[in-house]
Amino acid sequence: MKFIDWLDERLAIRQLMKVMLLEYYVPKNINFLWSFGVLIMLVLIILIVSGIFLLMYYKPDANLAFDSVNKTIMMDVEFGWLFRHVHAVGASIMFLVLFIHMGRGIYYGSFKPPRELVWLTGYFLFILMAATAFTGYLLPWGQMSYWAAQTITTLFEKIPVIGPDLVIWIRGNYIVADATLTRFFALHVVFLPLLLIFVTVVHLYAVRIVGSNNEDGIEIPKEEKKKKGIPFWPVFMSKEFFVMSVFLIFFFWLVFYKFDFAMDPINFTPANYLQTPPHIYPEWYFLAFYEVLRGFFFSQNLGLIAFVLSMLLPMFLPWIDKSPIKSGNHRPLFKIAFWIFVLDFIFLTVLGKLPPTGLYGWLGFVGSLVFFAFFIALPIISRIERKELERGGNKQ
Amino acid sequence: MKDLKILAIISILVIITYIGIEPFAKHEMHGTVPPPDYNYLDLPKKELTGNPEQGKVLFKQNCASCHSVQADGISATMDKQTAQLSFKVVPPDLSNIASIIEPHFFAAFVKDPQSATKFPKFAMPGMSYLTDEQIGHIYSYLKSVAKPQEKLTGKDILHDACTRCHSVKYQKIKAQTDPKYLNDYLGKVPPDLSLMGKAKEEEYLATFISNPQVMLPGTSMPRLGLKQESAEKVIAYLDNIADPHKEERNKLGLWVLGYLVVLAGLTYAWKRKIWSNLH
Amino acid sequence: MAEDEKVSRRDFLLYAMGGWAAIGVGATLYAMYKTWEPLPEVKAQATVKFKLSEVQPGELRVVAWRGKPVFILRKTPDMVSCPDRTIEKEFTVVVGICTHLGCIPNWEADKKIWHCPCHGGEYDACGRNIFGPPPKPLAIPPFKIEGDYIVLGEVGPEYQRLMKG
Repeated sequence: MKFIDWLDERLAIRQLMKVMLLEYYVPKNINFLWSFGVLIMLVLIILIVSGIFLLMYYKPDANLAFDSVNKTIMMDVEFGWLFRHVHAVGASIMFLVLFIHMGRGIYYGSFKPPRELVWLTGYFLFILMAATAFTGYLLPWGQMSYWAAQTITTLFEKIPVIGPDLVIWIRGNYIVADATLTRFFALHVVFLPLLLIFVTVVHLYAVRIVGSNNEDGIEIPKEEKKKKGIPFWPVFMSKEFFVMSVFLIFFFWLVFYKFDFAMDPINFTPANYLQTPPHIYPEWYFLAFYEVLRGFFFSQNLGLIAFVLSMLLPMFLPWIDKSPIKSGNHRPLFKIAFWIFVLDFIFLTVLGKLPPTGLYGWLGFVGSLVFFAFFIALPIISRIERKELERGGNKQ
Repeated sequence: MKDLKILAIISILVIITYIGIEPFAKHEMHGTVPPPDYNYLDLPKKELTGNPEQGKVLFKQNCASCHSVQADGISATMDKQTAQLSFKVVPPDLSNIASIIEPHFFAAFVKDPQSATKFPKFAMPGMSYLTDEQIGHIYSYLKSVAKPQEKLTGKDILHDACTRCHSVKYQKIKAQTDPKYLNDYLGKVPPDLSLMGKAKEEEYLATFISNPQVMLPGTSMPRLGLKQESAEKVIAYLDNIADPHKEERNKLGLWVLGYLVVLAGLTYAWKRKIWSNLH
Repeated sequence: MAEDEKVSRRDFLLYAMGGWAAIGVGATLYAMYKTWEPLPEVKAQATVKFKLSEVQPGELRVVAWRGKPVFILRKTPDMVSCPDRTIEKEFTVVVGICTHLGCIPNWEADKKIWHCPCHGGEYDACGRNIFGPPPKPLAIPPFKIEGDYIVLGEVGPEYQRLMKG
């Protein structure tokens, strides 16, 4: 006990514990969807730890990278295959839990005042995670790694004036080559993770200041938080531990028996800059955005603008959806729009992997329009709801 | 209850997405792989019988200038380097060939290798002057020296059937022909087979080996007339070397999942205990 | 009373859960520990086979074994004799790393000694330290005799006998 007092005097750990865990109250009227933040933390830790062990044998060199992954790590290092499977499946599952976490935020209006910064930092984390995944995907230096990097970096070519020079600068070569691999490696293992960790801290801090949203979207005043809430530790976390262990069962089932979805067969052929594989597509978590890019198949520029918009629009949700009602539970119109959006996102994801010809081309176009329709519908729905509230007066 | 409902909705959405991007998309991209044809039905079915002694004489007269039969102490007249220079590929040793390939493919191949392999640039010249009877003698000679099929491992067959052109780097197997000649012969250096078991599905490999032009029209891979058993052994070997930790993985997986199930039970009990104190 | 029971049950669960989680952490740490073991290709170099009869009388050969030089010297009758450090009656086989600070001594054929360039330590043809700072004779690597060959890195009966004697 003495040691804790000693620490407390110097680091105020008791106060820290109170703010972060013991007297941080989580509302009672939340459901299992509120567990996904903790799951994201869990996956992030799994990714960092497994990544560190991959790093010990990986060689960021165009001549060595493929063999260092597929021979050294996968075949020679004891349990190397396990760390790689965990890392690959972890990256994929990270986006699953991220999407659910973000969907929860959209549905229950968790981005609305006073939580704009929670949403913004969270969305920034999503973009950072996407960049980390993209740079990391190049590292095994297989055919899919190579051509994914080649095509996505080519997108920058379309930027007016500076585009062509910018692409060469990003790649450090006229094509994706050794220089690209090495810089992507640096970004993937140092720069982006550091930034991710930093922004995560800000994100968690912001949540602790404004508190968690809840199913009804009705703010709990500070004085009542203790009465109407449960402490983060141990009550909320006791449930989280259970959710985490069930999640880990699913996760390791994938790692051991169903890892194929995270390891494309095409990527077991070494990168060859002279031959594009017959089908190339990004990993599943980018497919929806990729399909928006391809959806405007008649105009490359339009597609590119749409792609950028689709990645950036959700960030501005706090200013797009200004309805005074927070939770989707109490917003019948929004509910319909939300579910159409979710289904459309899945639809786009599936289409993103199919060849963009004939009917699929047109379906992609329609799907992309529906994607944007959601963001156009939100201000309209907000206005209708505001008017109804005014008319209903003190009804609710 | 509510949580279970949410979990159910999420599961359904995830499963729909999974089916869409994995089985469905793969089917849309690759179509269905046609079944392999190990009977080489386009070639005339023939029984090959004959006299091994006569076959040996015929072999020495017609084949031994390029091909060796190490099992019987016959070496080729032409050394490897010369053969490589003139044919751009090393001619195979034929010790076990009779156990590896289908007899009627052998008969058709000897007469017209280019059409039997469906590869117009195939290096071996046709021996159309040989009669069916003579081919029967040669075959029965080769049959008499060959190890029986049951005794050949996937690696043996790979060595006789594939590694003249393909290397298997991770197993330290180098292609017998120098890559620079192969490039002249085939238009490109054939892919390394170390990870082929992972890069391609079993069905694809089976059909591709039994009839390359079906899966990859215009490919430089010749049809080699492997018996079904031979092809299956090679594919099993390729799978095995591409994924050497499969057994270990499957076993460890059970332990890890078992461990986690117990962990889930314990955490659930603890959660109930804590939440039962809340009112 | 009932309250007490509740608490103790909760504590028991907490300990059980914590203990079980610790097993998982332990297993993970074990997997991590294993990843640092030398790779198969390194382990393959753990033993080296060398044909002793290749060495001419009076000749010194240096063989790389686990990244270290091993001196194989076929002695001539005019060199010092030491039955307890001699293999197959005429060979001195020692790890060529000075027992002082790890430099590699040079063979001086005229004097029939090893002379360490770093601090002037000297060893006789048996590998025993005869001058300077080295505290011990040059180490004899584990070996096994297989007919005409010596296998470095495996323990054979001859090695065990030398170590005892």
